[in-house]
Amino acid sequence: MSSAHTHPRLAGAVALLALLLALALILASSAGATDASWRAALSGDVTARAILIGIRLPRALLAALVGATLAVAGVTFQTLLRNPLADPFILGVSGGAACGASIATAAGLARLPGVVPAIAFAGACGATAAVFLLARRREYTDPTRLLLSGLVLNAFFSAVILISFGISRQSDLTAALRWMMGTLFGATWNDVLLLTVLLIISMVTLATIGNDLRMLAFGEDDAKSRGVNVERVKLIGFITASIVTGAAVSVSGIIGFVGLLVPHLIRMMWRRDFRFLLPLCALGGGVLVVLADLLSRVVVTSSELPIGAFTAVLGVPFFLTLLRRNR
Amino acid sequence: MLELLNISFAYEGAQAVEGITASFDRNQLIALTGPNGSGKSTLLKLIARVLAPRTGEIAFDGKRLRDWPAKEYAKQVAYLPQDPDPTFSMLAIDVVVSGRAPFLGRFDWEGDADYDEAERALSVCDAAHLGGRYLDEMSGGERKRVFLARVLAARPRLILLDEPLASLDISHVQQFSALLRDIVDRTGVTVVYATHDLNWAAAYSDRMLVMQRGTLARDARPSEVMQPDVVRELFGFDAQAVAMGGRNWLVPRVNS
Repeated sequence: MSSAHTHPRLAGAVALLALLLALALILASSAGATDASWRAALSGDVTARAILIGIRLPRALLAALVGATLAVAGVTFQTLLRNPLADPFILGVSGGAACGASIATAAGLARLPGVVPAIAFAGACGATAAVFLLARRREYTDPTRLLLSGLVLNAFFSAVILISFGISRQSDLTAALRWMMGTLFGATWNDVLLLTVLLIISMVTLATIGNDLRMLAFGEDDAKSRGVNVERVKLIGFITASIVTGAAVSVSGIIGFVGLLVPHLIRMMWRRDFRFLLPLCALGGGVLVVLADLLSRVVVTSSELPIGAFTAVLGVPFFLTLLRRNR
Repeated sequence: MLELLNISFAYEGAQAVEGITASFDRNQLIALTGPNGSGKSTLLKLIARVLAPRTGEIAFDGKRLRDWPAKEYAKQVAYLPQDPDPTFSMLAIDVVVSGRAPFLGRFDWEGDADYDEAERALSVCDAAHLGGRYLDEMSGGERKRVFLARVLAARPRLILLDEPLASLDISHVQQFSALLRDIVDRTGVTVVYATHDLNWAAAYSDRMLVMQRGTLARDARPSEVMQPDVVRELFGFDAQAVAMGGRNWLVPRVNS
């Protein structure tokens, strides 16, 4: 094998997943409870335009961005912590966001636009800082302590969320529960713009440390001996992945499973290092959440079902098939 | 090539290595031995720049370690930890070519020249046939060869191996020891490897360093270490010497 074989393989894989994502986006923006075609929208039908461009397209794009973000965060945490079970949620990042959101709801702030996402994002950042500080000993961040701190903080957040729900007004609870189960209802172009910018910044940042980050696969001592500044790479990787997770969770609520599942799916299809997996996870995560969101709104026409359930429904059979084939 | 001047290191108060002074030249196979917890791994990590000495100075080519840019030093000195298995399975060729990392720029991918180096390193380790296989499908002995190739892929001048013979069966221990000897003789590199196996170490190495409670208790030729009174003092090992093929072999004294 030589590098002549490496790049076309990455290019081929990226092209394949990009095509799948494009198809998923077209499908998701075309299908829905109301009849509205792209042909009508493009020929000036105002209603069709309002539905497709005002509602479905930003929602489908936001689904792709949320999926990409969670999968990118997942592959980063797994590489960083050398742990196949690591994902954006196990570290308490989304728990912090949910905690912030539920406190905001209990305080009666849920009706003010933009307040819940903003407080959720602050909660995610606060949780990240707490987990990181708890896991730090002298100048060293211990991956096991990082996971343990995340688990313990998650338990604490769950308690706060339950208490908040107990004292929330009945009328605010429906929205809060929907958020906890993950929803892209009411996606706006502003959300799309915000997440696009954050995703690009985080991908560029992670690509910059990609050569060093993948060396962590062989252990921190090995990476250090290869001239990698391990603590710096861990800090940049952890903060980047946490911030984008916080942003994704603040716009979509909690969509489980993507950050854990997608990196493993991609790794089973292309068993390569972090640099290779990063763009593929972004695309694969996008495909999964776009399809899951589509199913969540078309399976039952009268209401929307949780997206997180469909990421599992779609992902698990695929995952198990690959697992069987690989062994 | 490498000078250690009175170096010491402690883990949170527990002294691990104390006052070690030694120097290494090119083209040597050096066995680093000593009882468990005597500081062998710590010493290798200090030389590999995984740890920084609390006191004392290490210099490579006359230049202090802290004055070497990290990646430049990594091109000269390669280190193989005791248990380097990656979290997720990888192709052997990808494992080996990752040894070229110090030569890559921030956004570079390994090029043809790097893959050529990786394939060369695999053949040096008699492992050319393993390139296309996944690590988790290999035996322990095959994996060791792949990781040795990874270390060689950077063409370093000093190689540090932490217990490369651990968990190998006896025929693989012999093959691997002979391979290390061969690599030193053919390439002029210096290999320092930690090991518990005195007989193999003495049979193949040029020099033995014996650690004891963090200090360098002996730095000598194998024939000087392989004496019953010396190993009793250094290892607490009751042995008798059997002379064969011009050298001493140590056999445990069994009280029945």
